Amino acid sequence: MSLATYIIKRTIQIAITLFVVITILFFLFRVMPGDPTAFLLDPKMSPEAKEIIRKQFGLDKPLYVQYVLYVRNVLKGDFGTSFYYGVPVFERIKELLPNTLLLWVPAILLSYFIGINVGRRIAWKRGSKEEYIMIVLGLFFLGMPIFWFGMIMIWLFYHELGIFPAGGMMTPELWLDPSTPLWKKVADIVYHLLLPIITLSIGGFAGSMLLMRNSMLDTLREDYITTARAKGLKESVIRDKHAARNAMLPIVTAMSISLAFSAGGGVLTETIFSWPGLGREIVQAVLNYDYPLAQAAFFYISVIVLFANLVADVLYAYLDPRIKY
Amino acid sequence: MRFRDSWETFRRSRVGPIGLMILLVFVLMAVSGPIYVYIRGEEIYHPLKGVDPVIKGVSPPSIRHPLGTDHLGRDLLAQLMYGAQTSFLIGITAAAMAVFIGTSVGLTAGYFGGAIDNLLMRIVDIMMVLPGLPLIIITAAAIGKQSIWIIVFLIAILGWAGTARVIRSQTLSLRERPFVEAARVAGASDTRIIFKHIAPNVLPLTTLYLTLGIPGVIITEAAISFLGLGDPSKVSWGMMLQWAFTTGNTYNPYWLFPPGLCITLMALAFYLIGRGMEEIINPRLREI
Repeated sequence: MSLATYIIKRTIQIAITLFVVITILFFLFRVMPGDPTAFLLDPKMSPEAKEIIRKQFGLDKPLYVQYVLYVRNVLKGDFGTSFYYGVPVFERIKELLPNTLLLWVPAILLSYFIGINVGRRIAWKRGSKEEYIMIVLGLFFLGMPIFWFGMIMIWLFYHELGIFPAGGMMTPELWLDPSTPLWKKVADIVYHLLLPIITLSIGGFAGSMLLMRNSMLDTLREDYITTARAKGLKESVIRDKHAARNAMLPIVTAMSISLAFSAGGGVLTETIFSWPGLGREIVQAVLNYDYPLAQAAFFYISVIVLFANLVADVLYAYLDPRIKY
Repeated sequence: MRFRDSWETFRRSRVGPIGLMILLVFVLMAVSGPIYVYIRGEEIYHPLKGVDPVIKGVSPPSIRHPLGTDHLGRDLLAQLMYGAQTSFLIGITAAAMAVFIGTSVGLTAGYFGGAIDNLLMRIVDIMMVLPGLPLIIITAAAIGKQSIWIIVFLIAILGWAGTARVIRSQTLSLRERPFVEAARVAGASDTRIIFKHIAPNVLPLTTLYLTLGIPGVIITEAAISFLGLGDPSKVSWGMMLQWAFTTGNTYNPYWLFPPGLCITLMALAFYLIGRGMEEIINPRLREI
């Protein structure tokens, strides 16, 4: 299998998954018992406006036509009008999506960075006290609800120590003042970003750490490690260049599962830190019965996760020489 | 004495027995919840409906309320003990359902192979990458009603894929073993081979995945309750944290710490037991 075929195959699979996501949304909000119009039409709307939307979403047509229309609308980014904000849903999403990426991407990268490095280290020190402590600590973090960890972080760093803000993304006074220079605005966002990023990455590193350890222990048993030792290579070279490089492969494979899981952590972290992103919005929208917005938020969260999967696949193909012959 | 050998391995894993001990504490906690409430008086100490005539709102730990009270003056210790019940109930039932579905799918896919296997495994691939928690949030919104059984059902429906994958690969290798071949030659039907010959051999792995699945369920349930989508008729640890969060009481350590610590420790207990079991099931881990 060449690199190109591999990536095309994976892209097709991910596209199919995206259709599954759209289909789930369609079924949840159209076919479930109850009146589907309740999910689409704001109760406050005038009968004429309701009629227009009903036509637009084809609610007067047979189900399969509705489905085709729905898929088309979703792919065009048209999720209707938010009940709560009264603006097209896409307008909201456009504001929130960059904020979500700003939080999730660095946090996930950081959690893998920590996980892989600590995992590599403790596998190398198999049987030591450090390994035992890190495993138990890792399992503790794995079992810890991230929203609770976030609350503790706020309690500690905002309430007790007063070093970090309790939440939000920016200081309003600073941004409303026209004389504030750009770098100050950027610094303000970074300042608000730090605590959520730390929470999300510390909350998520344990999985990749434990996996890296197991995978590393497997590779350390391979013959080529013995060969490397026999050649008299430096221990650190064996660890980092020979063992860890190969131990990375299962981590990248497992990424798809943990990415789906990270999305949950992201939603909770945004909620705790009032971070104006898709994750907080999906929760707010659900609690406000703003169904169009909730669907759109879910759709775009899925798009992020699936896109990240595609990136992981390309990375895998790049790391695994077996795919490139 | 196979059992004694297994127990010996489990005991020597160091972490297994620690997990069991933590779990035992939680079992005691869950059992003594109703006793505590009964002894101290239903009207004041009921975790949801209790009303203390003296303390009307939030109060720190005292002799009257060992862990303090919440914004409605309800006893936090009673809530914590009842929360253990909810976690056990949801954790075990949802994980059991998920593992049951996963094992069935894995056995079917692995045994029959071919197109069935291909189809089922593509479904598994899709299930694995769906963002679970957001999906549960949005499904809970579409369904509208909030009950623990809906939550259990949703978690199970979204959580079986990992087990299916593992059981499938185990079944693939079992299918080729001589004893299965012998059964087939002797004229055993597919159902008989699956249930009598293959299923008993994947059972240890299924049990392991059940144990390792419970913590995930407990955390997910806590998250759902925390977001305000839980069953309002059952106290859970996630709900206690939601109350603290929405009423602005996250800065009261006596309210913030116990529920989260309980979730973490219960999850940890199952992980530790799982690791102990892993050493029995997967002897390769024991060497070195």
